[in-house]
Amino acid sequence: MNAESGVPGSPSAPGPTAGTGSPRHRLHPLSPFLHGAKSLFVIVAALSWQTLGRVGVGWFIVVVLILTLAAITLSVVSWLNTGYQVIGRELRIHEGLLWRRTRAIPLERLQAVEVVRPALAQLTGLAELRLEVVGGGKTEAPLAYLTVDDAIALRERLLGLAGSLTPGEPAAARTPLPGQHIHAVPNQELLISQLLTPQALLLPIAVAFVLTQFLSEGSWSFIAVASTLTAMAGVLFQPLRRVLDDWNFRLARDDAGLRVWRGLLETRTQTVPLNRVQAVTAIWPLLWRPKSWLRLRLAVAGYTGPGQEVREQADRLLPVGDPTTARRILFEALPGVDLAALPLTPPPRRARWVAPLAQPVLGAGLSDRVFAARQGLLTRQLAVVPYARIQSVRVVQGPLQRRLRLATVHADTAAGSGVAAHDRDLGEAWGLAAELAARARAARASEYGSDRAGGARRERP
Amino acid sequence: MIAYRRGVNDGMPSAEPTAGPTSPLEPWPETVDWRGVSPDLIWVELLHLAGGLAVALIAVSTGWALTGHWTFGVGFGAVVAFGLWRATVVVRAVRAWGYAERDKDLLVRHGLLVRRLSIVPYARMQFVDVTAGPLERAFSLATVQLHTAAAATDAKIPGLRPNEASRLRDRLTALGEVGAEGL
Repeated sequence: MNAESGVPGSPSAPGPTAGTGSPRHRLHPLSPFLHGAKSLFVIVAALSWQTLGRVGVGWFIVVVLILTLAAITLSVVSWLNTGYQVIGRELRIHEGLLWRRTRAIPLERLQAVEVVRPALAQLTGLAELRLEVVGGGKTEAPLAYLTVDDAIALRERLLGLAGSLTPGEPAAARTPLPGQHIHAVPNQELLISQLLTPQALLLPIAVAFVLTQFLSEGSWSFIAVASTLTAMAGVLFQPLRRVLDDWNFRLARDDAGLRVWRGLLETRTQTVPLNRVQAVTAIWPLLWRPKSWLRLRLAVAGYTGPGQEVREQADRLLPVGDPTTARRILFEALPGVDLAALPLTPPPRRARWVAPLAQPVLGAGLSDRVFAARQGLLTRQLAVVPYARIQSVRVVQGPLQRRLRLATVHADTAAGSGVAAHDRDLGEAWGLAAELAARARAARASEYGSDRAGGARRERP
Repeated sequence: MIAYRRGVNDGMPSAEPTAGPTSPLEPWPETVDWRGVSPDLIWVELLHLAGGLAVALIAVSTGWALTGHWTFGVGFGAVVAFGLWRATVVVRAVRAWGYAERDKDLLVRHGLLVRRLSIVPYARMQFVDVTAGPLERAFSLATVQLHTAAAATDAKIPGLRPNEASRLRDRLTALGEVGAEGL
């Protein structure tokens, strides 16, 4: 603890302070109790139904209470030693009692900012601020918790600092009027779309199966029922989570970039600067085809690091919508890109030997600003990546492809799985790879070239 | 099958341009000057292979000696045949490795069964690894790997002489610095 940090009696973070080198702030004093309440759920889940059945309700409650108190005590200690401050173009986060850690986050590397309000935090008027930067295995800077006003003020301040330094994105490409509303997803559509998933459709069969099992076995113990219900909740977890996560989904765009509001129990407000959009994928699930619905997934670096693909799979650009809406949204997210007018060409007919059914679906093409490729027989996917976001280009040729003189061209991005043009003619594949490399270079040059002189200035000390 | 007419050099720059028909592993023959990796990498790979084979052979021959059953003899033969086949593949695979430094990007190609070519712009480089295992060190070789922000990027060059490896590393980092930052 240094002398700057707040006196324990007045720890609540003061409002947005101006100027660089602002004093060190504490998180909100209610934070440790919210963390403790959160660990209550974890403890109960860890003890599970079996323990409850074995030790009885009384002891179960006692054990849970003791563990929760311990968790709260730890949280209080960690709260006392946690602080954050904005210094120049950096956010510094101090934490730890025995192992002190100060993490400095250069704001020009900011990929996205999210204000998250879990159910408990909503009751107490608090919010968590999450910053996404590339590299860390998890969200680098979860500031939990701040008051909502503080969180929003800090977010705007960080985005302002980050945006003023972010090169590229010519000013003309931005909308002059801030806070332009783009789309809101009706909750009814969201519900129907998630009922049209394999899990939801198969649920009645599962229920019938379990019921017949129970009736024939005749074992109706409490634990059996509870365990079965838990298992079913697991099956329904994904569609249910999508509904909860994407409830009241709204999308807008302003100077800072794309803004997304969503969530029922846990509301999230996410801000993604436009030049941090690594790729957009349009997905047409098989069961949605009668409705001609699709969803749009946004790839932002920092969310999908290695070994954590499961996290943040929510469709942050559009959970469900018709083609017109999707076209409008894509046009906003990647300015000047028309979903319906991408120049996709199919691979040669001999690609059927490699992809017998999917050959007519496959397609790839280059437009002015993006590389797009379509694949997937049942769940059709169209991935779009701007040239400026391509990290590397690969050409891969399997043994069967070699006999047919075909090859697959991959454009790798910092988030998600990149874009792959499958089974192109070999000569075309080489040409495509060379063209992608050249266009990526040109796009990089136009985005950063004017800023080359500033590159040295912005180098971190 | 593909003929690798290019002789592998010993990690030193080779100037002769590739002529002749375009092989699937050699696109743009007129503009790209491919370099091979050191042939000593063949010995490293063969020793790796021999280590694995030795374990398998010892296991099989122990079984044969204890039981005397003929299936172990068949297994012994199969392991030997597999080893011989792998050895020829290793030789060709090492000759298939290649890299080329262009103005703005690094090209790396490798693989026999599945052929891979990577084009990695220097500006996208996040960091460079130079590694050398005990076997590689015994043959005074090193591996250079270029990492970008994309996990899928596949730019690894094994079998470089230490001075070539450090020259490549220095060149990559120097070129990376003048490039753009951010993603």
